[in-house]
Formats: sequence, structure tokens, C-alpha cells
Amino acid sequence: MFKNYIKIAIRNLWKNRTFTALNVVGLTVAFGVALLLGMYAVFQLSFDRFHEHGDEIYQVYTEDSGLNGIEANISKSEPFAAALKDEVTGVEKITRYNGSGVLLTYQDKQLGMGTAYVDPDFFDMFSFSIIKGDKTNPITSESSVAMTEQAAKRIFGDENPIGQTVTILRDEVEVPFNVTAIIEDFPNTSSIGFDIVLNFKSQNEHAYARTVGRWDMENHEVYMQLSEGLKPEQFEKSTADFTQLHYKNEIDNAKRDGLQPNADGLYRQIKVLPLADVRFANFNQGVVSVNRTMPYLVLGISFLILFIACVNFINMSIAKSSQRLREIGMRKTLGANKKQLFFQFWGESILVFLISIGLGILLAVFLLPYFQTLFKTQASLATLLNPTLLLVLILSVLLITLIAGGYPALLMSRLGTLQSLKGKLDVNGKNHLRNSLMVLQFGIAILLISGTLVLWDQVGFMRAKDLGFNKDQVIAFPLNGELNDQQAIELLRNTLQDKPNIESVTASNNILGLGKDGSRSTSILGFEHKGRGVDTHMVVVDADYVETLDLNIIEGRSFRKNLASDSLSVIINEAMAKQLNEDDILASQIDLDDAVYSVVGVIKDFNFQELDQNIAPMTLFALPNWNLRNVYVKVSSQNLEQAYTDVKAAWHTIEPNAEFQGSFLNENIERTLRSERTMITMIGSGSILAIVLSCIGLFAMSLLIVAQRKKEIGVRKIVGASVSAITILLTKDFLKLVVIAFLIASPIAWWAMHNWLQNYAYHIDLNIWMFLLAGGIAVVIAMLTIAVKTIKAATSNPVDALRTE
Amino acid sequence: MIQIKDLEKFYKTEEVQTIALNKLSFNVKEGEFVAIMGPSGCGKSTLLNILGLLDDPDGGSFMFNGTEVAGYNERKRSELRKHNIGFVFQSFNLIDELTVFENVELPLIYTGVKPAERKKQVEAVLEKMQIMHRRNHFPQQLSGGQQQRVAVARAVVNKPKLILADEPTGNLDSTNGNEVMDLLIDLNEAGTTIIMVTHSEHDAKYSHRIIRMLDGQKVTENILA
Repeated sequence: MFKNYIKIAIRNLWKNRTFTALNVVGLTVAFGVALLLGMYAVFQLSFDRFHEHGDEIYQVYTEDSGLNGIEANISKSEPFAAALKDEVTGVEKITRYNGSGVLLTYQDKQLGMGTAYVDPDFFDMFSFSIIKGDKTNPITSESSVAMTEQAAKRIFGDENPIGQTVTILRDEVEVPFNVTAIIEDFPNTSSIGFDIVLNFKSQNEHAYARTVGRWDMENHEVYMQLSEGLKPEQFEKSTADFTQLHYKNEIDNAKRDGLQPNADGLYRQIKVLPLADVRFANFNQGVVSVNRTMPYLVLGISFLILFIACVNFINMSIAKSSQRLREIGMRKTLGANKKQLFFQFWGESILVFLISIGLGILLAVFLLPYFQTLFKTQASLATLLNPTLLLVLILSVLLITLIAGGYPALLMSRLGTLQSLKGKLDVNGKNHLRNSLMVLQFGIAILLISGTLVLWDQVGFMRAKDLGFNKDQVIAFPLNGELNDQQAIELLRNTLQDKPNIESVTASNNILGLGKDGSRSTSILGFEHKGRGVDTHMVVVDADYVETLDLNIIEGRSFRKNLASDSLSVIINEAMAKQLNEDDILASQIDLDDAVYSVVGVIKDFNFQELDQNIAPMTLFALPNWNLRNVYVKVSSQNLEQAYTDVKAAWHTIEPNAEFQGSFLNENIERTLRSERTMITMIGSGSILAIVLSCIGLFAMSLLIVAQRKKEIGVRKIVGASVSAITILLTKDFLKLVVIAFLIASPIAWWAMHNWLQNYAYHIDLNIWMFLLAGGIAVVIAMLTIAVKTIKAATSNPVDALRTE
Repeated sequence: MIQIKDLEKFYKTEEVQTIALNKLSFNVKEGEFVAIMGPSGCGKSTLLNILGLLDDPDGGSFMFNGTEVAGYNERKRSELRKHNIGFVFQSFNLIDELTVFENVELPLIYTGVKPAERKKQVEAVLEKMQIMHRRNHFPQQLSGGQQQRVAVARAVVNKPKLILADEPTGNLDSTNGNEVMDLLIDLNEAGTTIIMVTHSEHDAKYSHRIIRMLDGQKVTENILA
């Protein structure tokens, strides 16, 4: 019997080649794309899940009452971790963590290395397995270094790395370190990444020594492992005394300044964030929000695309079933029962699905390299190779075939024997289903198209927005070489000063946008001003900062060329001026622990942070001998390419061994839009696929409907209907469906996009044309799809139509 | 074999009720060849559908081999049908996607006969119908007469007690028509009961008895042999 089913299935599929091809193409594309998108989403969602104790590891942060409401803060002070472990029960293990780049030297090799500075508990908490060397205390000594297999290979080649000595540049001195352990290369789904691991105390003076014992200097993250069985909420509650003890001043000041406490009524509260949430946590907008929208959105799109392809399959199967009525009737007459018929038709569907899944996998494998490049992801088929996931995948495929193939099979097997023998099919009910499914298909397509249009508009707006500084003519790069910052800047200035296309050079401790090296840092300074607490972003700058970035001085002056004379001067932005609330702002002073600084100028607010945040108060300092990691070079607008080459050459003369990681500020800004661009590409390709697949279905339905209405068309033509009247007659039913889809999808799209835009402090206003355009695109594409068949039917000879009856 | 008494069947649409069978009664004995005649719309095909257990009567009694089968559900009817009744239709109703062999094999598949046994039985019946040489052809590759011979082969492969033929020669020329009638006679002579609906006086003469119908009722009954 099974052989008989397969045989008839293959013959049937071959007989209806056009429909089989439309179905296989649609399903192949859908399965291929769903597989790729699934890979992407699973890859994202599996971040940090490989740690054995992952469920017990948390990142520690605090919720502080600030002037602008609750602020979540992951930066912690030097004594914090040890004190928390000693004073609060439930902390099983704890480690401080700071990530940075160092310059490592071995014999004649000099290599930039991603470094994690951690405490010894680190290796007991996280599953970074040591495969060679000291497995118990690899970095207990401050002169020990542990490194990944890859890093060891880069440094030592085939030599045995254990026991070797390398030097690392720290505070301008080459410090020797002994290689004690080799760490197994870890999965690329780790948000903690490094080449080498050093003891937390091995950091430079600025990052460690000067912060020892200071509760007010916060510069690193803290991870802890909770005792088994202890709930994070319980732990958070039990930290109340600790907070009261160590942050008494801050809490008292917050109360004095009338700040709002958090949801638990506290002015400062220690909170913990599960390790698996760290990658998805947003600390920018007050309370921490864990947002997995992107992977779920991607999964959602893959589901919608599969749904559209399956709808095509269901609609085509049901529509084609009318051509198989006699077969169904005859089989029933000869004794076939419902179960046998169901399995026969379902078997045919499974065959189509299996072919499509096979081709879909091939398509995904073929597209994978392009997909990885386009979406900058390391997701691969290996991502899905885990028993649970494979089981879920197989079950999903079975479920899809059961529904998409099973439903039409069920309908066909249920038909009455006589009714089918006579070749009569009551199609009214099924048309409702078909129409609803088509409305859903086009609704999804319109939803995705409008999403793409709104995203496009928002990103265009973010790109074009005047950020208040010159982003087109300024090249920025990190000082990642051997020289100290001041020396390097000085040498750069000297080297570049004669170049006609260089206008000015400056440096600062912050970076605008996201640099090529991917690093960024923020320092926030809190101090007392006339009995009130005041917060400001602290940016330490070199001479010509204001001029290089074309910032607008609206009151007072810029820093002098002779910067040393301005070491006690500050320039503030408008937001800061508003916060200080002084009548004569240029006469005001800010009193920090170490000195009193005079406000000498006010600059117009500029977007030094991303556009999802309002412009915060900011203060520019001209402190001598400060770490100024980032250089900014303003070049003439004439020949930007040449200027870039000149700057790069100058850097190589000064630091021959350091990589040049320069990019124009507009590229830095573009880098911050990466998630938006990924979203545009995802939703954009999703909408193209959705509309193409919907149209494949529409085309198939138009073929069938024209065939079914052939006689009607003939009769209408004989009694005088024109070609246009017939075309409209055939088209309007489909057009109606697209219009209904538009009416349903547009409000949903409006609501979704309105909510999404709220994530941005600076955003476009939604405009009706975006939705009308989306609907218009869907209507036009749908019309073009069916036009071919309907016009042909309308212009055909009516006599032929009647003769075939 | 068949006793029907006061058999009724109505067709209802929203506004009209049509009486297809109006208290029809007659009997058919085992081994008989009965022809049913009458103008279009007199209820012949409805009667044949009920006798073939494809349809259920709205009233009256239908005894098949001594068992009342009126009111049987689809599953029971199907069970009874596949073991006892073979069908021959005017339009052959062969499945286009199956070869001659596979079409004839189908009833055996549904009655659960093992493959080796199926092959033997199908080949035997194809030999008997003289279409063995066409066993791997598809229905579209055959003439009308050949197609109807395949349909008859399919109807008899299960060795049914009763064959119901609905205008079996209606789509055939006279030569092919006669060949099909000869096949039916052979089957009848071998003991199979045949009930045939026809418009053709010529074909009806092959039968033992002609029942003439009008408006769902029996009008006359002629015994020929």
C-alpha cells in the first residue's frame, strides 16, 4: 500500500508540475531562510549558556537614585567585591572584572592582546577550562599570566608556553609575566572575551593602585556566584545593611536632594543580573531592562515566512483537490477508509515537504557565508547541532507537515463517496478559509514592509541628524602603542603640523560613537554644588578639542593653546549649565575634592552619546598628564582619503608596531547603528520574502480561479463584456483581500513601530504615508502578479472556453 | 439476495423537495441478471447508488443477503461493499495516475490481500479480460473499450457476489459495447449477480429481467428468460 501511495504521489506531483514547482520553490526558500534566521536567533540566545555554574552566576549592579531618576550602575569600587563576600551571606564566589587591551612582547614579537583582569575565583566560577599548567591557582600571583590556546599559538608557535616569560607594557615599563596556564579555546557565544587573563591587581596604576580602598572610584564590573538554592531576590534584600554601611553619605544626600527612591523605596540598592541576561541588558535608561527583542524578532520573522509558504501549500492543495474528486470517490467506492485516504494525501504532502526541507538545507548551506557577512554573525549550522535543539527542529517540521499537509488531507478524506464520484465539491466554506489565509499572508507582508519603511526612515534620520560636532572631517583613533599618551600626541602634532590637509589635532579620554577597536568608556562624576548633589559626564581633553570638533561656544571661551594655564578651568555644556542653575554661569565654580574649578565657557549641547539617550550634563576638563586614549585629527574637506593616508603614515612613523585603528567620526556613528542596520536588513529581507512568497500563492490561486471560471468568462464575453470588465472582475476579488489585509495590518504596524520608536530619545514622527506606501507596494505587486493570467483569460476566445465545457 | 421494500429517497434543496425513489419494491435473486430502464431522472442511478451501498435510503427496507442494511453507517457500508460488490461505470472512473495493473489491484489492496497473492489474482483477471499486454499502460493510452474492460476487471478482481453496472456501454461504440456485454454475460454465467442500469434496449436484452421505472416508481417488469 505504501509503495502505491509513493507511486501515485510522485505521478501526481509530476502531473501538476507547475503547482509542485511553485510549492517546492516557496517551501525551499522558506525552510532555507527559516534555518538561517533560526541559527542566528539560537546563536544569540545561547550566549553565555556554556558555563556549568551559569545559572548561579550574576553580574552585580546598583540602582542609584539620580537627578534624572533611577540609574543602573555596573561599575564597582575596588573594596566592594571583597567586602560583599565577607559581609553578606550567600556569596559563594566573587570576582572583579576589567577588560582592556595590552601590548605584549615575546622575543622580537609585539602583539596587542585582549586582556581580562580578574580575581582568582574567576576560573572556579566560569567554565574557561585550563588544559595545561596550573589548574588550581593560575593567576594567584600578580606576575602570572594565563592565555587561550589561540593566543599561545600566536605568541609561541609550537613551543611549550608553560613557564615562558613574556613582558607586558604597563605604566611605560616592560613588566615580566610568567605563563602559568593555557585555557581551552571557548565557544564564540561568550560575552566575556579575552586572549590573556591577568590578576586584577596587575593593572596599571591608574586602574588599580590609585583606587585601592576607595569606595568613590568605580571602574570595573563584579560577577558573583550565589550559594546554591539562594534566590537572587532574597540576596538583594539581604544587602540592605551592607548598602547602608558603605553608601551612607550617598543615601543621605539623595534624601536631602529630594531624589526619587526606586521601586523598593530605596535610594541605593544592590541588585544582581543573571549571567544569561547580561548580553541583553540595557543600562542606558535607568532601570535595567533585559531585551531579547532582536533574536525573538528574527525567530518571529522566520516563523512568519514559514507560515506564508505553508499557507500557499494549504491553499493550493485544497484548490487542487477539486481535480481529484473522482479519484477520491473511486477509492472510497473500492473500500478505502478515511484513515487510508488521509495517509495517502498526507504522504504526498510529506514528500513535498521532505524535498523542500532537503533543498532548503542545501540553500542555507550555500547562503551561509553571505548571511554571516551580511549580519556579522558567527552563527553556523553547528549552532543547531545539539540534541535538544535537533529534537525541537524535527518536532517543528513534523508539526508543520501535520498541519499544512494534514489539514487538506483531512478535508479530502472526509468528502462523501457519492459527492466525490459526481465530481461536485461544495467550496464555499473553504473559500472563506482560503481568503482568510490570504489576508493573513498579505497582512504579514504589509506589516513587514511598513516596519522596514519606518526603520529606514529612523536610521536615515539618525544618520543625517546634526549631532552638534563635525563628524565628516574628523578622524579618531586610539593610542594603542608603546609611548605614553602625552608623548604620542606631541609627536603626532609635530609630524602632522606641516601637512596642508591637516587642520588640528587633539585628544580626549572619551570616544565619540564607536571606534574601530570597539572600545568605549564613560566617567561620571558626582559632587556637591551649593548643598545639592550634581552629576556630570567627565571628559578630559587636550588643547584644541573644541576647535577640532567644531563645538559651538555659546558663552565664554574655549581652552587656551597653553593648556597648562587652564588646568583649573572647565567648559560645560548647556545641560550642565542648566543643572548648576547659576545666574552668571561664567562666575560659577565647581568644588571637587582635590581642587576648585572655574567655568570658563559653555558649549552648545551636542550628542556625545547615542541617540537613544537625551543629552546629559557634561564637563570638559583640561587636566595635565591624564590618560587621553583617543586622538582626534581634523582634516581639510578637500581630499579626505589622502588626509586619512597621511594620518595613518604619521602614526606608523611614531608607533611602528601598533595597529592604526582610525576611522572618521561618521563611521564611528555608523558603527553605533549596527543593531538598527541589522534590523533593517532582517525585516527588509523578511518583507521581500513575505511579499514574494505571498505572490507565489496568489499566482497559483489566480491560475486555478481563471481555470475554474473559464466558462463564466466565455459566457460573459459572448453577452458583451469587455476585456477590461473581465480583468476587473477577476482582479477585484484578490484586490479586496489585499485591501482588507492593509486595513488590519496598518494599525498593528503603527502600534508596533510607535512603541519601538519610544526607545529613541530622538526619533521621527510616524507618518501615514509610510503605511500607505507599504499598502500601495503590496497592492501593486499583487496586481502585477495576477495581471498576466487575468488579462490572458480576458482576451482569450470565448468559443474555446465554451467548447471545453 | 436483494429485497427492497417501499424504498424512498428524497433530494432537498432550500426550496424544493424532489422525490427520487417513491416506495419502490422488488427482489433480485442470486445469479440473476436484471436490467433497469427508464427515462433520465426516473431514479435509476439513485437506486443503483443505494443498492451499491454508496448512498442511504430515506425510507423503506433494504435487505442484502438477508440482513437489513438500510441505516448502516459509512464504515459498515464500506466494509460490506468492498467484499461483496463490484462497480462498472459509464465513464469508467479509472484513476489516471495508476497503470492498468495498479487500477485493477486497488480493491485487493483495500481488502488487505498480500502482494504476491494480489499479483496472481490481478494477472489472472487481466488474462481473462484479454488486456494483459496493456498491464503497464495508463488509462489515457487505451481505447474506450479497453478502458471499460479494465474497469470490469477491477470490478471482478475481488470476486464480488454482485456487480452493479451504470450504463456500461454508454460511452462505447457498438463493437466495444458488445464486447463488454459479453464479458458481463460470462460473469453472470459464472454465478455473479448483475444489476445493470441502461438506456439501451439492445443491452437490456442480454438480461433475465427488465424493470422499467418512471418518477421513482416501478412501472413494468418483463421477464426475458
